[in-house]
Amino acid sequence: MTLILPTFLTLVAITVLPILITFGISLFYIKLTSTAGPVFIGLENYFELFTDDRFLNSLVVTVELIFIPVALQIVIGLLLAMILKEKLPGMGWMRIAFLLPAVIPPAVSGLVWKLFIVPGAGGLTYGASLFGMNLSLDLLSMPSSALAVVIATSVWVGTPFVALLMLSALESIGEEQYEAARIDGANWFQRHWYISIPEMLPVVVTVTVFRILEALAIFPIIFVLTGGGPAGSTEPINYYAYVNGFEYLRVDYAATIIFFFFVAMMGATAPFLINIARREGREARS
Amino acid sequence: MKPGEKLFAYVVATIFIVFLVAPVVWLLSTSFKGQLDIFAKPPILIGDFTLENYREVLTDRRFMGSFLNSVIISSLTVVFSMLLALPAAYGLSRLRSPAKIPLLSWVLLVRAAPGMIYVIPYFMVFNEVGLIDTRVGLVLINTVFTAPLAIWILISFFDGIPYEIEEAARVDGATRFQAFTKVAIPMAAPGIASAAILVFIFSWNEFLFALTMTRFEAKTAAIAILNYMGYEGTEWGKIAAAGILILLPVAIFAIGIRKYFVQTAAGGVKG
Repeated sequence: MTLILPTFLTLVAITVLPILITFGISLFYIKLTSTAGPVFIGLENYFELFTDDRFLNSLVVTVELIFIPVALQIVIGLLLAMILKEKLPGMGWMRIAFLLPAVIPPAVSGLVWKLFIVPGAGGLTYGASLFGMNLSLDLLSMPSSALAVVIATSVWVGTPFVALLMLSALESIGEEQYEAARIDGANWFQRHWYISIPEMLPVVVTVTVFRILEALAIFPIIFVLTGGGPAGSTEPINYYAYVNGFEYLRVDYAATIIFFFFVAMMGATAPFLINIARREGREARS
Repeated sequence: MKPGEKLFAYVVATIFIVFLVAPVVWLLSTSFKGQLDIFAKPPILIGDFTLENYREVLTDRRFMGSFLNSVIISSLTVVFSMLLALPAAYGLSRLRSPAKIPLLSWVLLVRAAPGMIYVIPYFMVFNEVGLIDTRVGLVLINTVFTAPLAIWILISFFDGIPYEIEEAARVDGATRFQAFTKVAIPMAAPGIASAAILVFIFSWNEFLFALTMTRFEAKTAAIAILNYMGYEGTEWGKIAAAGILILLPVAIFAIGIRKYFVQTAAGGVKG
């Protein structure tokens, strides 16, 4: 215990305190540009949230940017893991290729996609021209297609990693079950549907929780690709908090937005996280 | 697998690999293209090969200054993060107390919190004490975010070291601290190395803190690359070359620890 105490006190100071301070800031009226000090206003900022159309819009975008990409990542990731498990000839190098999107700096990922879809000069236009199509759309100029690009980038960044995680879970399942099912005449898809998926359910749930928590880490990609636009169509809640804090210099309102989001996310995911911690605690020997 | 199933597998794999690789290939090819080839109509994949973009980026003092900042900030973040995480992870792994589960949960919750919640208070405090736009400031906040990740990764490596070995050392007269530094740390070396690399990658790629806490002096490469996206037009050649330069170190690191990468980067996904 003596070994952990100093580090833990440091960690509490640098992690828990900021969260409490953020909550504190949200209870004040603060104007960075004036010399007047902060004024305590209680929950007034929180009441403002629910009359703020732009905030309500960012909630909708947040839901879209969490659930659509994560669902796609999980489904495609599982499918890819099942394929990779077969060790078909020529697919070994896919495992290395799969590491790439997970480690490319997110800002660069955003630029990679921006370059790829540049109207008329990007790789997308080039790809279309290979099929004889002449494509020169500006995908980032329309709300629905801009959102689709952000979702595609999120899938691009996250899916390979999900696939690799699912693959390592898949490889730990005993072969006998698959053999038995094969003898009973189950095809490849049925074998996975009736054996792999039930066996992997805890892993799938855990991966999903982590992907949900990570989903809004695409902030840099949004920053580079769309800046939240057009018309707020790609502005999730953390982006709106950023805009308030660092463009409009409304630090108190930014703190309110992000603290609200923090509480909502923790409320939704804390039971799972505590469960994971409990499992780790049991595994450790002492 | 039956032939039909194999065909299906290859089709899915091919589609996904094209989706995965095409944008990166386009970045790579653009980095070797001259200005005219970049905007050729219709677009071309391979233009006249030139290293001009790389020459310009490598001689751009401002960008290379930021690149150096990234190296320094990420390295220092690794040092501080590991100094905090190693004793904490070891202690947590060996802890026999009802406090264990709450402590483990707390590490995960802190790691799961959105980065923006740290940005606001840190920005205000840094503003007061003059840490805005300093490397020290950025190292501090990166450490806050990476230490819980490092703790979580390291715990499972320490879990894997049989306690009997440390007990033997203590019977021979080693103190608890010596058992930690002389026995546990060397045995967990592969885990420590991959945790350190992961912290480095995280810090290297970090965007939100670098965006809000730096202006000119302490800017990192991941932010400085956006300078090439100006009002007078985007310099795609330089962006592509700079992008390749930024992603190269982390890609090499990731391939170097690929055996551990998935396991460690998942940080808690065991199922």
